[in-house]
Amino acid sequence: MKNPIQLSAKDMINSYLLIFVIHSAQVGVGIHGFQRIVYQEAKQDAWISVLLAGLATHLIAFCMIKTLEIYGSNDLYGIHQDVFGIWFGNFLNVIYILYCSVAFFSVLRNYIEVIQTWIFPGLGTWFISASLLLVTIYAFTGGLRVIVGVSFFSIVLALWILPLLLIPLKFASVDSLLPILEANIGSILKGAKSMAFTIIGFEILQIIYPFVKDKENVKKHVHLGLLFTTAVYLIIMLVSLTYYSEGKLDKTIWATLTLFSFISFPFMERFEFVAVCFWMLIILPNLCLYLWAASRGASRVIKISGTKFVWIFSILIFIGTLIVQSRTQINSINTHFGNIAFYIIFVYPIILLLVAMLKKKYSSQKEQK
Amino acid sequence: MKFKLPFNKKQTPIVIQATKENVEMIIPEENNFTQMIKDATHNPSDLIVKSIPPNLTLIYIKNLVNDQILNDHIITNLQNKIYETPETIKLSLSLPEVNISSQLEETVASLVNGSVLIYVEGYSPVVLANIPKRESRSLSAPENESQVIGAQVGFNESLSTNISLVRRNIVSPDLCNEEFKVGKRSNTSLSLIYMNGIASDEMVNTLRQRIKDLDVDALLDSAVLVEMIDDNSLSPFPQMLLTERPDRFCDGLLNGKLGVIVDGSSMAIVCPQSFIEFFESREDKNLRWQVATFVRLLRFTAIFLSIFLTPIYVGALTFHYEVIPQAFLVPLSESRALVPFPPVFEALLLEFIIELLREAGARLPTKIGQTIGIVGGIVIGTAAVQAGITSNILLIIVALSALASFTTPSYTMGNVIRLIRFPIIILAGFWGFFGIMLAFCFILIHLLRQTSLGAPYMAPFYPPRFQDMRDSLIRMPLPYTAKRPSNVRPADEDKFNPEPIKPEKS
Repeated sequence: MKNPIQLSAKDMINSYLLIFVIHSAQVGVGIHGFQRIVYQEAKQDAWISVLLAGLATHLIAFCMIKTLEIYGSNDLYGIHQDVFGIWFGNFLNVIYILYCSVAFFSVLRNYIEVIQTWIFPGLGTWFISASLLLVTIYAFTGGLRVIVGVSFFSIVLALWILPLLLIPLKFASVDSLLPILEANIGSILKGAKSMAFTIIGFEILQIIYPFVKDKENVKKHVHLGLLFTTAVYLIIMLVSLTYYSEGKLDKTIWATLTLFSFISFPFMERFEFVAVCFWMLIILPNLCLYLWAASRGASRVIKISGTKFVWIFSILIFIGTLIVQSRTQINSINTHFGNIAFYIIFVYPIILLLVAMLKKKYSSQKEQK
Repeated sequence: MKFKLPFNKKQTPIVIQATKENVEMIIPEENNFTQMIKDATHNPSDLIVKSIPPNLTLIYIKNLVNDQILNDHIITNLQNKIYETPETIKLSLSLPEVNISSQLEETVASLVNGSVLIYVEGYSPVVLANIPKRESRSLSAPENESQVIGAQVGFNESLSTNISLVRRNIVSPDLCNEEFKVGKRSNTSLSLIYMNGIASDEMVNTLRQRIKDLDVDALLDSAVLVEMIDDNSLSPFPQMLLTERPDRFCDGLLNGKLGVIVDGSSMAIVCPQSFIEFFESREDKNLRWQVATFVRLLRFTAIFLSIFLTPIYVGALTFHYEVIPQAFLVPLSESRALVPFPPVFEALLLEFIIELLREAGARLPTKIGQTIGIVGGIVIGTAAVQAGITSNILLIIVALSALASFTTPSYTMGNVIRLIRFPIIILAGFWGFFGIMLAFCFILIHLLRQTSLGAPYMAPFYPPRFQDMRDSLIRMPLPYTAKRPSNVRPADEDKFNPEPIKPEKS
């Protein structure tokens, strides 16, 4: 196999950290308002769609790991170059880098919009964008060790939010889940498909795989991470479905944040103000990991140094956030990106696995002859 | 992206090997010899040249030698007797450290180190009898790191006293002690101390190399040494512990850490040290584990509050009134009704006053310092509220966070806690909770980027080591903490063989 990645043990991470990497890469801005999109398709059966989408991630992760195992210690970029040759492989790599960049952009832009809508209507886009980019660059220049550390802390320090979802349950009625399976299979699947934007992120596995120390445990930990994500989404979806009355979800753009706004403590009310700001810690691993994935690809295609790449990348993204301003633009980017991501993340890995397996069979036959 | 370090840590100093031709030899003639020594030391007024008939001359610096030993053992022994050669003098002196040298440089170096030169007429080699007088204060209780239960003795400024304190706590031949001289002009001695068989060789080599590579003029305190040899001198966070407690120092050594003691400094260095360990007091080990856990959690809560309470107040009052419950909003707005300033200015003003009181209390003599603290605190606080410059509630918050920052068992870390509050307050004043979160993320990433002697700074939380977490945020009972922290990469992992707490039951 061509150009495998050689790494010293110091640069590598333990496989159990993948639980945190996978989960933190998946959870980001999508969680703020995925309920509406799924609800539009599947109505009160939306939770089944979430479950199906979660199942699909396990399936795709399985395919991804199979593909990566064929190559031992190589990432998606190297596999592309090996399977499709240098030219077409690099073409696919560029597409993948673009995909990571758009994912980065969409996370950043959505978060800026949430901040401007919920807390600071007057705060300039440029300021939020620049400050977040600076934080991301600071983490990125620390290397993978720091990025994985950010993922780890973003989950550990955010775990306390999950039990707070019990508070809205006081006003929930289980009846709104009934009747089960009213929607037909088609709309449930459509609902699952619309989860794509929310549930992607685990594709980072294809890039981080060579950096994992004990590769035989990767499977277990990746699936644990995915399971955790699915569980979180399922819980939030069930709480939202039972809390909101029929049809209300259709009109709530950020259903999760609206849920938070009813939470109050003796010393604090309007919890969503804290939550929206705290979400910075949750989207930070998203940004760092996508940036890191893009920079890995760029360094493989055009041999650019990480520092140089990150500045060019940040400036482009910064300009991008200034250009895309209105809610409609952001929404259409989300929808289109979700569609494209669906094909790149949920369809393409299966094709890649088949091609890689064929190629392996072909080359091993050739060797035997 | 690596920052350039202010000190060239990697640079190896150019060592000029003293070749034999360069060494000045001593001329065997009395007048010339005395003159040579006077020239080499620039004839200080406390240089005593005393001749003992018939053929001996003693040269010493009055303030450096021990008068009693000089009288009892040297002058009494040498008077009225005729010694032919330096060798016979060396044999006749009942002192532990007597050398013979015929090189001028070595002789002068020995002279300023507290030696008496005994010159025999007609001979080139001189006898160097080392009888130094080291002025140091007596041992006393550690003032900056006091604790209720535990030893009440602190290091003082003498290297040999400090090492003897350590040797008294750890009676073992495995306790290694390497001495170095640092500083071209000050020639400060320092000792690298570690436990052979526990400390990792790699780390010892790294630290030894960092000390050897130092190319500085003078070294007056261990705190300066820390800034020169730690991993990132630009970070406000200390990466090595400075302690004046021998028991804390020995605890570190027994856990596989390395220690450095600098002559003339009462603070010893312990490294590698992780972030969380700065908040652990040695006293936690002396208390029952339930109490120790409670105290630790209390301390961590205090530190969190100390950093974020004032910024949260500023952020909430400037931008996020909605977050404050209605019942609380009434007293808050009443107390702030007369305040003419925006919350950020009000908070900065009060924090500034508190820091001023702290600094004045630290600089003033102890008795006045306490009075100033109380008088300043009460008078300024009450007057500021009555004058309507600040609100009562902010006064409580600021005092609370100042109090909380002093619970840190390490003074250097406590300083950082107080320092980083200021940028966070300003960020909160401009961008509310978003600014606070921005600062939080920056600090988190900054801490993740740091290392201490190559070991991760955020251990045992990241990378997660569950074994080590048993003695970090909480303290589990002793049988569960039988392993040494893996952060120091100890050569021997087990402290002891854990046995069930109640053997008859299990």
